[in-house]
Formats: sequence, structure tokens, C-alpha cells
Amino acid sequence: MLNLYSHPSGGFCDGVSRRNFLKIGGLAMGGLSLNDVLRAESVQKSGKSHKAVIMIFLPGGPSHQDMFDMKPDAPSEIRGEFKPISTNVPGIQICEHLPRLAKMMDKCTLIRSLADCDSRHDAFQCLTGRNSKQQPPGGWPSLGSIVSRLQGGTNPAMPPFVGLAPKMGHMEWARTGEPGFLGVAHAPFQPNRGGGTEDMSLRGITLDRLRDRKSLLSSFDNLRRDLDATGLMGGVDVFNEQALNVLTSPKLLHALDLSREDPRVVERYGKGENRNRDDGGPRLPEHFLAARRLVEAGARVVTLAFSRWDYHANNFGQLREDLPLLDSGLTALIADLHERGMDKDVSVVVWGEFGRTPMINAKGGRDHWPRVASALLACGGMRHGQVIGATDKQAGEPTERPVAFGEVFATLYKQMGIDVTKATLTDLTGRPQYLVDGHLPMAELV
Amino acid sequence: MNLPRFTLIAALFAAAPSFAAEALRPLNFANDIVPILTKGSCNSGGCHGKSGGQNGFKLSLLGFEPQEDYEHIVKEARGRRVFPASAEQSLLLTKGTAQLPHGGGKKLDPNSEDYADLARWIREGMPYGKDTDPKMASISVEPAKLTMPLKAAQQLKVTAHYTDGTTRDVTKRALYEANEKAMAETNDTGRVQLFDLPGDVAVMVRYQGKVSTFRATVPLGAPVDKLPASRGFVDDLVFAKLKTIGMPPSDIADDGTFIRRVTLDITGRLPTAAEMKDFMASKEVGKRSALIDRLLDSPDYAEYFANKWSALLRNQRTQPMYARGSYLFYSWIRDSIADNKPYDQFVREVVAASGDLDQNPPVAWYRQVKEMKQQMEDVAQLFLGTRMQCAQCHHHPFEKWSQQDYYGFAAFFSNVSRKPSTFASEEMIFNKRGVAQTTNIRTKEAVTPTSLGGQALKLRPEQDPRQYLAEWMSKKDNPFFAHTLVNRYWKHFFNRGLVEPEDDMRETNPPVNPELLSALAADFVKGGYDLKKLIRTITNSTTYQLSAVPNTYNAKDRQNFSRYYPKRLNAEVLYDSVNTLLDVQTSFAGQAAGTRAVALPDNSYNQTTYFLSVFGRPDSSSACECERTQEASLAQSLHLLNAAEIQTQLSRGNGRADTLTKDARPDDDKIADLYHIALSRDPNAAEVKFAHTHLDKKTTGKTGDEAFKGKKEAYEDILWALLNTKEFLFNH
Repeated sequence: MLNLYSHPSGGFCDGVSRRNFLKIGGLAMGGLSLNDVLRAESVQKSGKSHKAVIMIFLPGGPSHQDMFDMKPDAPSEIRGEFKPISTNVPGIQICEHLPRLAKMMDKCTLIRSLADCDSRHDAFQCLTGRNSKQQPPGGWPSLGSIVSRLQGGTNPAMPPFVGLAPKMGHMEWARTGEPGFLGVAHAPFQPNRGGGTEDMSLRGITLDRLRDRKSLLSSFDNLRRDLDATGLMGGVDVFNEQALNVLTSPKLLHALDLSREDPRVVERYGKGENRNRDDGGPRLPEHFLAARRLVEAGARVVTLAFSRWDYHANNFGQLREDLPLLDSGLTALIADLHERGMDKDVSVVVWGEFGRTPMINAKGGRDHWPRVASALLACGGMRHGQVIGATDKQAGEPTERPVAFGEVFATLYKQMGIDVTKATLTDLTGRPQYLVDGHLPMAELV
Repeated sequence: MNLPRFTLIAALFAAAPSFAAEALRPLNFANDIVPILTKGSCNSGGCHGKSGGQNGFKLSLLGFEPQEDYEHIVKEARGRRVFPASAEQSLLLTKGTAQLPHGGGKKLDPNSEDYADLARWIREGMPYGKDTDPKMASISVEPAKLTMPLKAAQQLKVTAHYTDGTTRDVTKRALYEANEKAMAETNDTGRVQLFDLPGDVAVMVRYQGKVSTFRATVPLGAPVDKLPASRGFVDDLVFAKLKTIGMPPSDIADDGTFIRRVTLDITGRLPTAAEMKDFMASKEVGKRSALIDRLLDSPDYAEYFANKWSALLRNQRTQPMYARGSYLFYSWIRDSIADNKPYDQFVREVVAASGDLDQNPPVAWYRQVKEMKQQMEDVAQLFLGTRMQCAQCHHHPFEKWSQQDYYGFAAFFSNVSRKPSTFASEEMIFNKRGVAQTTNIRTKEAVTPTSLGGQALKLRPEQDPRQYLAEWMSKKDNPFFAHTLVNRYWKHFFNRGLVEPEDDMRETNPPVNPELLSALAADFVKGGYDLKKLIRTITNSTTYQLSAVPNTYNAKDRQNFSRYYPKRLNAEVLYDSVNTLLDVQTSFAGQAAGTRAVALPDNSYNQTTYFLSVFGRPDSSSACECERTQEASLAQSLHLLNAAEIQTQLSRGNGRADTLTKDARPDDDKIADLYHIALSRDPNAAEVKFAHTHLDKKTTGKTGDEAFKGKKEAYEDILWALLNTKEFLFNH
């Protein structure tokens, strides 16, 4: 399994070192030359970027009232152990274990009244904005698949949609965003699992041999391309070229290879552990950095899942472990996007499938609470430094401005340059489907 | 050919002031006001037309329900939407023109006729119109049919016809959409602009629930001097079309190409090297027909078409305990196809299935298609090429179907009931005794079973309405049933339906060759719904046997069948073909060793075989062929170029490369073998040389084990390259 996040040797699984990759990139086996890559990198550093979304899913349903919607005046069995701290936006307080985020609240928006949670342990709603019941045949496509379908790739060596979540014990949390009725061509590229990973690294085949094979293939592959007027044959050629680029030239691998990053930047994100938390995801802020690098390399949508938040017991002990890494990873990502001039283009969303019960249970945990949840949005050229919505004094029910998942999605599509009142996709029954049903972009944000 | 166009445009200019002349005509809400809202897309599904409306203002979708819209505009919001004393200050106008903030932006120009009409309507006190006012009966488009040169343009004129015999020019308020977007585009005012693709294109014109179609034939105009011999009505009609549009067909494909093509299309497998050599060597005159017969009589044909139907009939194994049912249903489908069961009988046995799985496997269809509405929608789409889904909640926007038609057709399934089967987790299906009827959700009135475009049936409580449905479908003059099947099969062989998509046949989406579709359907009915005969008719035609290689004129042809259109091998066929080339015996859980992917009974193997899912094998979750993804993707390319599974099979002991290395024959013979298996042809001199060069490179200066290893690797590389060529990946 390709694992680039905590690799001890600095080389890749096939034993090829980074330096070799660089050299091989220069050999340009019909793919990008080293110069192309450097040029591409320099363009990216000049601050020009494309519209993108980084979606951070917190599997299990994080406790909204211990993070973003503190209730210090509630009785102790409700308010819990943590204290609120002030942020750099007057009047907004968040958890004391998110001190760096508190200093960046002007760059974020908190939604405290997500009100239509599907009450299932499933990333589905956070990836599609849809309820999982009543799906059309083939299923609802996720945001990344829709963007892939409507906007395609930004360059030939990068897939437009990447899902970083590895496999997990509870697979509904490990969803990276299904293509639904759009079909597998718009599935996320999944470097951390399955065919995706295995197919990405050469095993037993040296690069010299791959080069031999490629030249044999071009000698044999003589079927006239004008036999096909539909573009499919050309499409296969483009993706073969892209695949050989992935195998031989650095773009995608470099994006995933954090050793190429300034060590001080890596450090800012925090050091996680590449091991799943029980049946949830890994506690890896390195994925936040990989997401930023993938977007820089051309991805339009990157999804990832961070840790496991289903704290039916020892809620506060576990949060004390999770929050500091979420704090460092998230603030490093937001700061990075600003420093690189990507903050107007790249929207960041952080949320889970639902909130947690106001009352702390006998095991010091909180249980499922789909009546309300919080979400954090950052960057993306939206108005920030605000709180949208509110809950009652127990953080149990939304009392102001209930927000639907669909509204957040309508906002994200708008920031991607897609008009949800116009764009439709045809489902398998021939029915045109809007990307979001019944919701518009949130006026508070855009 | 150009003349009528100019006179028409001239006529339009002359007619332009006609709206002004009508100024004193009393306005009618449904006839005059709603069309303005439709054209401005105020009542579209993305805006106020969605169920629930937009920001408190709701309109019926596309204006199908004027009474409701009237209520919402005139009486809601405390009457602020319209203000007769000062019409210009009405919210309807201030929002529409974006003088007040409007989420939808500016939809109305204050200087337009639309604005003037709306303002006058408000000023005159928002008349709804009288019951005796004429209603719109139909629309017509002029011209309706035209032959046009490439890149030409044509202004359409749309006329609404009212019940009192009057007509009105509604060109500016109608909506336009071309069915082949690569051939033509339309603008808001009804101008059709052609691009440089020859063929047929239709423009659907919609106005307040009525539809009409403009059809353009766009000839290329090349000389069609000599045509290959016609072998029946298919060729007669295809060639007639080619003559009309002036597009000479490609030459006839050679024998090697033909045997590979027809074997893949009928049986979903590559021809063996022996089959190919025998066929090439044969001097028999009718050898192509004989081959077709042989393939149709082989079990491979039944397996391949059972695979197609199993997906469309939703043979899903969503739970492990459904295995028995999915196997039984699959076997029933396969046996029906092997026995060449008449298609009308095949459909009847599914649609009217009752009883227990063991005695009657097609009841499994009802397990996956649970509800009345789904059953009706699947039957309409799959067997009748008609998409009824839209009409569940509103009048179908492109079709004549209303909600009454929708619920009337659904009522055929209103008495389908279930009780526990003798098999755990399966159900017995039966028709519950009682009057078959359902409720139209709009009128709240009961509707009894009504065929599409037919009269409502009054059935006795003991009668199973599904039998009447099946009977209506297989009536000789049914306009949907045979047409849909022949179009579906035509597409299977030609990679393009006469109507596209193949299950969306409607007046506003006409076939590219209507005479051919009718002739195929008539022949199919006359032949007793004989599927093998249909396949024979198609594959014995010269049209099917044309080369895919374009001539000077037909490279861009995508709809006239002037040449064969290549198609990528689908997931199952490609998987089997790769395994054939690499000499691998497949093994799937619960299946006999060597079972082809094409012969898998249900969708459950997509989960366990990444190859099948990444190349888009359908999950049997809909009745649409479109569920099978035919697009290319990065993940597919990476898999075929670099999958561990393929690498292992390439290099394993006793694999194809190993065997060839041990084979004492000259390399030339072995290279030829690989070409025969993979591509059904001999390699040319250049290809042999490339292979030799590579073999030499890997063995030069080596001896013993080293030389063996080098040679084996060279064969692995050659195999790898062959299986990644387009010639291998496509049927052409």
C-alpha cells in the first residue's frame, strides 16, 4: 500500500527514491518533462489558482457543544468540562482546546444550526448534501463527482476529484464521495486504498521496463483514431497518457509526497499517526496538507476523513486528544491558503454527520443528536468572521436560522462557479436533476 | 433550397408589429401571462417552479396549472405582488426587472413587450379570463421539415392554435431545443444554426404544455455513385438515406474484422485462433451467414444476451440470501434466450409474473422493483421506450402524457401483492382480488388501468390487470413495443440507436431513419417477435458488415450508418478477453471454474472484482442501459496498464508468456499466434519486426536461464502492449 505520510525511508514503496523520480520525470516518457513540472509549480506559486473545495469530514458526529457552540451557563451535566475562550472576533467564543483557531476566527464562519441531519452514521450527507433515503437509481452523485462531470480536469496529470480517506472498519465513514448516477468515470481517485493505490505504484516492473513497454505499445497501437467519432478512443489515449504520467512523472505523487514540502510547513500542520482510530479514520493532519498540495497540483475537490468522533464514553478525554491536532491542522491549512493567495478560490468545510446529546451520559460520553450540528467554513472567497444560527441554552435545538446541508452545498457550488438554479444533470431515468433541491446559496456567506 | 428560408425571414419581419396591433385584445391569464413566466424561466424547476417555490413565491412547474399560479400571484403575499393602481410598482414587475433585489436577477426588460403585457394585465385588474375564452389546442412550427446545407441557419415560426379557430404567432415565447447538440444550436427567438455535421437533426419546440418538432435534413452532398450490394430492406433503407444526404458508405469489412466483430457482438467473446483460421480459409459463399447461425445457436449467445437482460431486469443480489433467487431468475432469462422464446411471451412472463420463485423465477423482478409506480415506470421505459417519470408530479414537459396518463398506466399494478414465500427472505407475488384502480394525486379521483393513449379499462375484481397490459403491449399495432426492442437491439450492434437514447422515444425525439425503424418493427412483429431472426436480419445486412475505416466523406458520420462505429469492449467482455489472451482460467465465488464474466448471474461480483466495477459493469439498479458506464477514466487506464492482477498473470509460470518461451517453434509463429488470439488477424511485417527487435534486445548476449528470463520478459511486454492497444480494446 502506498503510504507517503509517515514513511521512514523517504523513498517510495517500489524502492525508487524521490531523486530518481525527479530524474525519471526529466526523461519524459511521453509525459510531462521536468521543465513542465517546474513551470507548473512556478505558476502555482505565483498565486493563480482555480476554484476548489477541501472537505474535511469528522466521522462519528463531533460534539458541537464542546467545540463550536459552548454553553457555559448550562448545568454541569450539560456544559461539560471545557471552558470557552474568546476569539479574535468580538462576541464569538469557542472551545479552549482550539486556541489557534480562536486567533483565526475572522477567517472562518461557524454555522451553529445545521438542522436537517440524516440520523445515520454515514458520510453520505456531508459528501452529497442529500438525504440518503429516496435516491434516484444509481444514487445521488457527490459534490466532487458533479464537479468532475461539469468541469473536468485542470491538467492531464491530475484527476479532478481525489478522496484521501482510507478504508475503515465502519465503511460508511470511509466514503470519499460516490459518483452515483454519473458513473465510475467520475469516481474520486483514491490514492489511499483499493485499486487506486495498488495501481499507482509499479511493483516488480522497473521504470526502464515500463519505458520499453510504452515504446512497444506505441509501435503496436496503430488503429486509426478516426474510426471513432465519439471521442472515446481519444479519451482512452488521454487517460493512458495521464496514467503513465502518474506512474512515471511526479505530479500526483509529488502532491502526495509531503517530504517535498518545507519541513517547517509540515510541522505547522502537526504530526499525526497513520493508523485508523478504532473503526474510524486516521488522526492525520498531514491529509490536510496533502489536500492543499493536491489542489495546487490541479485537483478541484479533495475529501478526507479525520479521526473518529463517536464519543459515547469519555467524551472529554478523547476530545483532549483530537482537538489539538484538528486545531493545528486546520489553522495551518487556512493560513497556508491565505499565504498562497488561494483563500479566495479554495473553500474549506469541516463537519460531521450530526451533533451530540446535550446531556452527558453515565460513561462521560455524549450520544447521537441529529437535531442539530455545527459546521465550520473557511476561505473560498466567502464573508467570514461570523456565526450563523444559534441553538437553545442546552445546544439541543436550533433557535435561529436553521440551515440545511443543501444550503451549504448550494454555496459551495456557487463558489465553484456553478449556478444551482440552472445546472442540471440527467439521471438514469432521463430526468434532469438539479444539483441541490430547494436551496439557494447562503446570503450571509456570498 | 435556400429560397424558402429568405422568404420566411422576410415574412417574419413583416409580421413583427402584430403584437402591437393586438393591444386592445382582452388578456387571458393562461394564454397571455403564463407564457411570459415560462419564457423567463420564472416557473422552472430551479426557481419558483420547484415544489415549495422560492422565497415564499410558488408557481406551477412550467406553468402547467394556471389556476394555481393565478392564486399565488394575485391573492398571496397580501396582494403586494400586483398593484393595479400603480402597476409598475407591483412586486411581480419590480422583482422581475431587478429594481428590487431578486435572487434570480433581472428576468424582464422594462422596455419589452413582455413587460408591457404584464403591466397592462395588472392595470386592467388582473383578469383571469372568461370560461368561454378560447383555449390553446395545439402549436405548429413552420417550416416543419427542411433540407438545409451545412452551417446554414433557419428562423422558425411557431403558431398557437386556439379552440375558436384563431391563431397567434408565439415564436418569441416558445422554447427550443435541438436533439443533436453537435449538429445544431438554437437561440431564444427560434433561430436554428447548423454546424458542419451532416445528417438529421430535430428541434423540439415547446409552448405551454404543447410540443411540436422541426426536422432538418442536412446533406453532405457528396456523390454516391456506387453502393455495395443490398441484402434486404435494412440496406435498401440505409442506402436510400445515404443517397439522400450524399454520403458514400465505407467498403465492406474483411473476413478477419468481420469474424471478430460479429463474434464479440453476438457472444461477447473473442473468436478463437482456430475459428478465425477456419473462417479465413473457407471458400464457402454464404460463410458469413453460416457463422452468424452458428454463433446464435451457441450457448455463448444466450449467456451474453442474458447478461444484458439480467441487468435491465434488475437481477440484483443486494443480500446474500437473494442468491437463490438471482440464480433462478438468471437461468430463466438465459434459457428463454437460448430457446428463442418469442419476445412478447418473454415480456408477458415478467410483467404478469405471479407465484413462487421456484415455479416461476421472473417474480424476482418484483422483489427488486417494489412499488407500483416503479413497476410502471420500469415497464414504460424498458419495454415501451417511454419515460413516464415526469408525469408523476406534473404534466410531462416534452410529451403528451399527463398525470391522468401516469396514474392510469400505474393502475395496472395496483393489485400486485406479496405474501411470505416458502423460501426465507423471498416473497410470493399475486394479484389481489379487487377493483384495480389508483388515485390521481392532482384530481384526487380514482383511475382505472389505462394503456398509453388508450381507454380506461373496467375489469372485474378477479381479473389480473397485468394480463391485459401484456396483451395490449403485444398487439400488432402497438406503436411502442416492437419499436423499442428493435431500436435497443439495433444499438447493441451499431453502438447507436435509430433513436437516442434508446429508451426515450417520443414525437419530439424522432428517429434518424424513421422508415428503417418502422420496417424493422413491422418485420419483428410479422416474424412472431423472433429475437434470433432480428439479429440475423441486422448482422446479415451489408450495412452491419461495412468497414469502420472512413472514406473521404464519412469520418464524422455518427448517425447514418455509413460505416461501422467502433465500441469499446464492455467491462465483462474486456475482462474475459484479457484472460483469454493471458490464458487465465477465471474463478468467481460460487461459480464453476472458467465461468466467463459475461456469464455471471447478478451484480454481486462487481464488489469483489475491481476490474468489473472500474470498467463500469452496471449494478442492475435501473432499467436503463445508460447505467453501464462507457466513459474512459484514469482509474481504468491505471488498472489496465499496471494492475497487480494483470502483472501477476503476465509473469506467472505456465502463463501465456511462459508457455510461449518454452515453445520451440520460431518466434514468427508465436507472434502470429498472439495476433490471432488478440486481434483475429496476421501481424504485418512492421509489427513482426518490432516484436523481434524487442525479443533480441532482451536476449542478446545472454545464455541459459538469463536468456530464458529475458525472452519470457519480452513476451510479457509484447502481451502487455497488445492488450493495451485500441485495436484490442475496441470492437471495430
